[in-house]
Amino acid sequence: MYKIQLDTFEGPLDLLLFFIKRDELDIYDIPISYITKEFMTYFHLMEQLDLETAGDFILMASTLMQIKARMLLPKEVDEKGDEIDPRMDLVNALLEYKRYKEMSEELSIFESQQRRVKYRGNFVADEKSNPNELDTLLKNISVYDLVKAFKKAIEQKPEEPVHQVQRFNVTIEEQITYILDKTDFGRELSFLELIEGMQEKLRIVVTFIALLELTKMGKIGLRESTEFNNFSIYGLPDG
Amino acid sequence: MDNIYKSIIEALIFSSDEPIPASEIIRAVKEIDGDDVAITPKNIEDTVDLLNEEYDNEDKSFGIVRVANGFAFATKPEYSKYVGFLSSVKSHRRLSHAALETLSIIAYKQPITKPEIEAIRGVNSDYMLTTLLEKKLITIKGRADTVGRPLLYVTTDEFLKYFGLYKISDLPKPREVEEIMQDADFLEQKRQIMMNQMDEIIENEIDNSESSSNEDN
Repeated sequence: MYKIQLDTFEGPLDLLLFFIKRDELDIYDIPISYITKEFMTYFHLMEQLDLETAGDFILMASTLMQIKARMLLPKEVDEKGDEIDPRMDLVNALLEYKRYKEMSEELSIFESQQRRVKYRGNFVADEKSNPNELDTLLKNISVYDLVKAFKKAIEQKPEEPVHQVQRFNVTIEEQITYILDKTDFGRELSFLELIEGMQEKLRIVVTFIALLELTKMGKIGLRESTEFNNFSIYGLPDG
Repeated sequence: MDNIYKSIIEALIFSSDEPIPASEIIRAVKEIDGDDVAITPKNIEDTVDLLNEEYDNEDKSFGIVRVANGFAFATKPEYSKYVGFLSSVKSHRRLSHAALETLSIIAYKQPITKPEIEAIRGVNSDYMLTTLLEKKLITIKGRADTVGRPLLYVTTDEFLKYFGLYKISDLPKPREVEEIMQDADFLEQKRQIMMNQMDEIIENEIDNSESSSNEDN
């Protein structure tokens, strides 16, 4: 049986470094257009696989696009009159990341060597009984352990949900009077103007019902508005 | 320092299952024999070297290593397979690339906040930090005085022990690294690691095929 292992990347910076190494690019003179294309190809492939990390890649993709756009614009200069390379921040980030990536390889060597060194006190027979003195008990406790314990304690006690029923004092009759008042003497106003300033959803619903009621009674007329999602209301003389 | 202390130091290191710092050894000696005993950290360093020399000459299977700010007895690498077999500390899985990456950033820039780590790595590091905290390789040490007072992360003694380092300053310097990367020695070591990983995979495969062939019978 064969196992196939695909190259995985720890993040967008890792991926960019891979392209730079694979295609022997100069890190100080990155062909942005080329690398953006490569990056996007991989990104589309990955997008379908892992939405979690995709966010970080989207950020990098937009950064690359931004750099690409800035490269097309006339060169910016700093106080000293030197040209600012739009790629500089990216190059610095890549170099910094590369440094620690190399360090992690170094640590990996230590890890391999250290895995083969065994200390005393690790046999099953060496298992210690529980110490009962307070100072020994707290010996290996860090702030993190305390925070974890606290979080657990908090989460274990779910709050009793309290339901409150509030009576809402708005009637269709009241709203009918309100609308008639607004559209008195054939005045015209839009629906959005009518409900302007209404805080509660229920009040808007009741107003709308009152509106329908008035239309049925023939006391107001409705007219289509030029605006999307809106309409006009006008009073009918003596409906 | 009297020669008798050579054996006392050996006994103290032997009896401790955690790396024992030189200061602890000195404390024990002075507590028992009085404050006027002339014993310095340098004496202990020299004694440990002397003891190790003796073990080597007698072809012993163990020695004293300097790790996590202290001294500890450890078996030599060539016996790791056998000792590891009986050890209750499961030969835990190696750290992932992402974990090593995060750890090396923390090791060099500690104390460091999560946003600073993420700025260097370019990816969200929540999960990695939780894993490393669980493994006790890092811990929280207060908060930064910057906006939002983010938590500060530092490495632990467990970290030193895991990588076989005596002090945090024993980490290779970032500048050296670039030279090391070109080094033929390093390439050799890197090849060795790859070989070790291959060995592990092969071992697993053998284990698997053995168990499956047993089923066949």
